[in-house]
Order: sequence, then C-alpha cells, then structure tokens
Amino acid sequence: MISMIFRKRTHRLKESILKGVFEENLKILGKPPFRISERMPLSAKKISLSFLVILLFILGHGNSLNLPLFQEKQTIASSDTKKYFQTPENPLTLSDNSINLSDAKAFLKIPGLPLSRTFGLTVKTVMIDPGHGGSNTGTKGKMGTKEKDITLDIAKRLKMRLDKYGQYNVILTRENDVTLPLNKRVALAQSYKADLFVSIHINYLPSRPTNIIETYYFGSPSDDTTLKLAELENADSQYRMSDFRKIIEKIGNTLKYQESKKLAASIQKSLFLNSSKEDGNVQNKGIKTAPFLVLLGVDVPAVLAEVSCLSNSKEERELNNETHRENIAHYLETGILDYLNKGEASYEAKRR
Amino acid sequence: MKQKEDNVLFVGIDLGTSRSSICASNGAKEWIESYVGWPKDFISLKVLGRPVLFGSEALQNRLSLELCRPLEHGIIKEGIDRSEEAVREIIRHLVEISRPAAEQKIYAVVGVPADTLKTNKLAIRRAVSEFVHSLMVVSEPFAVAYGMNLLNNALVIDIGAGTTDFCIMHGSIPTEEDQKTILTAGDYIDNQLYSYLNEKFPNSKFNKNMVRQFKEQYSFVGKSPGEIRVELPVDGKPVMHDITNEIKRACESILPAITETTTEMIARFDPEFQVKIKGNIVLAGGGSLIRGIAAHLQEALKVIGSCTVVSVDDPLYAGSLGALKLAQDMPVKYWESL
Repeated sequence: MISMIFRKRTHRLKESILKGVFEENLKILGKPPFRISERMPLSAKKISLSFLVILLFILGHGNSLNLPLFQEKQTIASSDTKKYFQTPENPLTLSDNSINLSDAKAFLKIPGLPLSRTFGLTVKTVMIDPGHGGSNTGTKGKMGTKEKDITLDIAKRLKMRLDKYGQYNVILTRENDVTLPLNKRVALAQSYKADLFVSIHINYLPSRPTNIIETYYFGSPSDDTTLKLAELENADSQYRMSDFRKIIEKIGNTLKYQESKKLAASIQKSLFLNSSKEDGNVQNKGIKTAPFLVLLGVDVPAVLAEVSCLSNSKEERELNNETHRENIAHYLETGILDYLNKGEASYEAKRR
Repeated sequence: MKQKEDNVLFVGIDLGTSRSSICASNGAKEWIESYVGWPKDFISLKVLGRPVLFGSEALQNRLSLELCRPLEHGIIKEGIDRSEEAVREIIRHLVEISRPAAEQKIYAVVGVPADTLKTNKLAIRRAVSEFVHSLMVVSEPFAVAYGMNLLNNALVIDIGAGTTDFCIMHGSIPTEEDQKTILTAGDYIDNQLYSYLNEKFPNSKFNKNMVRQFKEQYSFVGKSPGEIRVELPVDGKPVMHDITNEIKRACESILPAITETTTEMIARFDPEFQVKIKGNIVLAGGGSLIRGIAAHLQEALKVIGSCTVVSVDDPLYAGSLGALKLAQDMPVKYWESL
C-alpha cells in the first residue's frame, strides 16, 4: 500500500517535471504556452453552460440597470495604459535633436570638430559597459532572453572589433555574468583612465509592439518616460548620500556634456541608419538626455545606448541570432569611429 | 508514461566539450571524442578516403586534417566559422551510429551545460534539429538526476571538460537559481598540468593532447596511489619522468572552486531541506573518475556539516542515459507540438 502511494507520488512528480521541461523548450523557441485540449465530461459541460447562462443573465440586468460593471474597468485600463505609454509631446528624434553646434561654436568658434581633435587629445582607452549582470538581469523577453546576456555578448563583440585596430585599449566593465553596481563601473572607468565610456542596454516597452533605438547622454530627463528609465537604471548605484556633493559638482562639466552629445549622435545615427536597413519598422527615438548616474560619474564623454528592444518578439528572436548581435556591435563600432574621426568616416557600416 | 510507438526512436544525447555520447531506445549506446576533422586538401582526402573524420580517428590523423573541437565550455564556440558545422557533423554521426530504422521518427533530448546562454541553446537546437523530428534541450546535470531518479533533495555536480555544472533537485524542474556553471573543470586541469610540466621539464617535448592522456590515465587527489612515471622525449630520446606531484597539484586545483560553489548552493537553499541535500550529493561527468575525488570533497565539505558524496557508476553515459529516460517518459502530445 505504502509503495503504491509512493509510486503514485513519484509518477505525479515526474509528470510535472516533464511538463516543465516541455514548457522550458517552448520558451526557448519563443512559442506561446501550450494548451492541451482535453475532453470535458458531459456533466462538467452542463455545469459550465448553466453558469454561462446565469452570468449572461446577470450582466444583461446589470447593463439595463446602468451598472458600470465593464465601463469602470475600461476607464481604469485606459487611464493606466495612457499613463504608461504616453508618448512625449515632442519626442526628441535625431532630426530635431541632432547635434546643435551653436553651443560648441560659441565656446570654441570652431565648428564641426570634436574637442578631442581641437586640443589634439587622443583617445586611447575605450571602456565598454555591458549593462546589468549577475543578480541584476535587466529586462527579460517573453522567450526568456535576458538583457544582461545580450549586452555582454554585444560588448565582447564590440571589443573584438575595436581591438583589431590596435590603437585602442578596450576594456569591459564586466567580462562575465557578475553583479556590478554602478559606482563600481564608474570606479573602473576612473582607475583605467578611460577616455570614452559606452554603456550598452536593451529597451523594454511592455505591450508596445515596436522596436526602438535611442542613445542617452547625461542631462535633465527629456520626458517622464526617460526619468522613469533613469530611476530604474540608477536603482543599483550603491552611491551613498555622502557622495552626493561630488556628483552634483560634475553636472557643470560642459566639455564632457558637449562631447557626450556628439558621441551619442554618432552612435545613434549609425545604429538607426544601419538597423533600419534590416528592419524597416525600427523607430528612431534619437538622442536624449537623462540623469543616469553611470554617465554622470565618469569624467569623460559617456553615453548609454539602448540598442534594441526586448519587448518586441521579432526583435527578441533576432537578438538570439549571432549575426544580429554581431551587426549591432558593428554599428556601435562605426558610430564610435565616426565620432573619433568626425567627418571622415561614413556612418554606413561596411561588412568586414 | 512510456511510449510504445514502434516507428519512433528515442535518443538521449550528451553533447560534451571533450566527449559526446548517445543512448537510444533500440539499445544503441556509443560515444565519440568531440573532434571533427576535414581533409586539408585533395591529397589528404585521397589518403584518408573520407570527407570527414570524427573523434579519436580525427585526432590520430590531425596533421592531415583541419581539426575542430567545436564546443568550448560546453557551448558552441562563437565566431569560429566551422564550429556550428562541426556540431552538426557530430550530431549526424551520433544519430547515424544509433542505427535508426528507415522511416523511423527520431525524438531526441540533448543535454547542455546548466548555465548555457539561451542563444547557445538555440544554436544547439539549430544544429540538432536537422537530423531529428522533434527535440528538447535540458541541462546536463538535470538529465543525470532524472536518469538516476534523484528528483528530490539532491545535488548533482557534473564535472565535464569545459564546465562543472551544479543542479539542485527539489521535486520540480530546476530553476535558474537551482543551477550554476563554473569553468573550473577538466580543461582547467589540463592547462594547469601542462604549465607544471613545462616548468619542471623545460627540455622535454610534449603537447596538450599528451597531457590530457596523462590526466585521464593517472588522475587522483589526496593520497598518492604510487609513483607516476611517463615517457617523454628529450632531444629526441625517450626519457622517463616522475609526474606524481604535478598530477596531484593539477587535479586538486579544481577542488576549491567546486567546494566553494557547493557550499554556496547548499547555503542558499531552504534551511529545512539543507540536511537532506547534504546527504545526497552525486558526482557525474568525466571528472568524477578522478581517484579519491568523492572522499576528498566529502571531507572538504565537513565545514558545513556531515555530507555524503558519491560518484555515478557510469559517468560516460550517465547524461545520455538520463536524457534517453526523459525522452521515453515524455508524453507524445509534447513531442508532437514542438
């Protein structure tokens, strides 16, 4: 008797494990959860039917009595949706937010050239920051793809590409799947004396079936959504209140601000121009300012690129494809090089 | 739960960095070294007589071949042109040697390292799906646990060549938190041994393949089983060398990381069940063949209380046998909808 109970329990356990294995594999493939159509017994069918009739009857009465049964729900849902997905009134697209050189001209009277060249400054150390890592997974797609894995993979590819030039010391803030708070990332950039800092992230827009590309540099938030995003990304900063003064002092770093803006524009242009050739529906959200602590902390030109969008199922599938990740790394490379050789390189990524 | 379909061949595959094995429902049970070689030119092709060679045969003829060991740390090496092709060849070969009947459908479960990035699970799926009708990918230590019926309160440590995989079983499919992969495994021992031998015998000639063979033949931790002497050429002349200490140091170099990860995984598990897991630690994979490893780990883990560590009986096939059992137990409705 006991052995029979034990066998039944093991059988049930195995059944649930096998179902789990199957569901895991559906997830890998990006397929929706499986529903097994099983025959419903006649008695159960009768009960369900009676319940449905009673429910319809009650709802019918509710409507005739003007009960706001559905109406209220819809209002709540729509206000939520509106709040969450409100698009900024003046979204900063590349066209209307592309580099306004008037600030730089006023400051230097030399149009077009980056300060690095104006002052003969060379860029030796490029720090690439794969967003998130370890227990901080970042966003997660429906198939289970994690932002931390994709950003690390793209960062490694970008490093390999930049290493080929032999001119740059390219360093990653993390080379493995480890948790790395923002203050440590900043400390790394400082200790390696980084000359450029590029943080790689993937966007997530729940229920919006779009794929967007946007690049940030430090500044006041461009809109509510950017503020929320910055709050989210700053959550694991591990900065203390005692660091606050130093942080605030950095806000006035005009040169870094201007250079970061140019770097952001170069990267955004390369990312969008090239990505749109593969996916005609990708949206250009342009360069934006947001108070990301990681961008403020480093003293050199620093940008945060949201290179893709994990909430878009098609894009998630693509991100699981090695070629697509290699392409993104290539576009980032082109953007960075274009910033460094302003006006001499083409934004068009050439296959190498 | 078992399928009784004659027109289906169920297979379990353990795709490893060093060795890959297959077990099939028709009784076939084979393994190969995970090497693939293509003749370098038409002369090599003529000499070898085949367009592609596998395993030890490929290793023996490596001078005439473009040799590829496609799995690094248990996953498909990225950026290497022929890696995915090589994995496909290994799978094709394994499926062929499992002798499926004509018109027979093949349902396969493939074991991959526990922490494999999803992108790699997809790459492995792509490589395998060409040769099978339906396919599921599971973590290697989970396949071992399922095969041994260790479904509840157990910790499986699969010490492979590229990775050591940890998996806690607690009565349901293990989640990401229940699994961990570290890169301290067989290849790490090879590298350590290679550098120790280079340091001790700078004038002797040997390569990584020879070092791997020494490890496989003589590996041990703890008390030495006796003097280990091997023949290595010095200036072309064969000379005997004592490598006992180097073998011991290299094999023991993986223990701190394994002990630390085991402790960490047990510590983060529900405290009420920790004692049960400590009494049920199973070592699998090629690394479990290192003499004295189970006893040594059991001793090292005493800091977290009394533990029982045992090694599986058949490490070469434990993964593929578990995968086969999963394949056979899996309901048909699941196979058909993948």
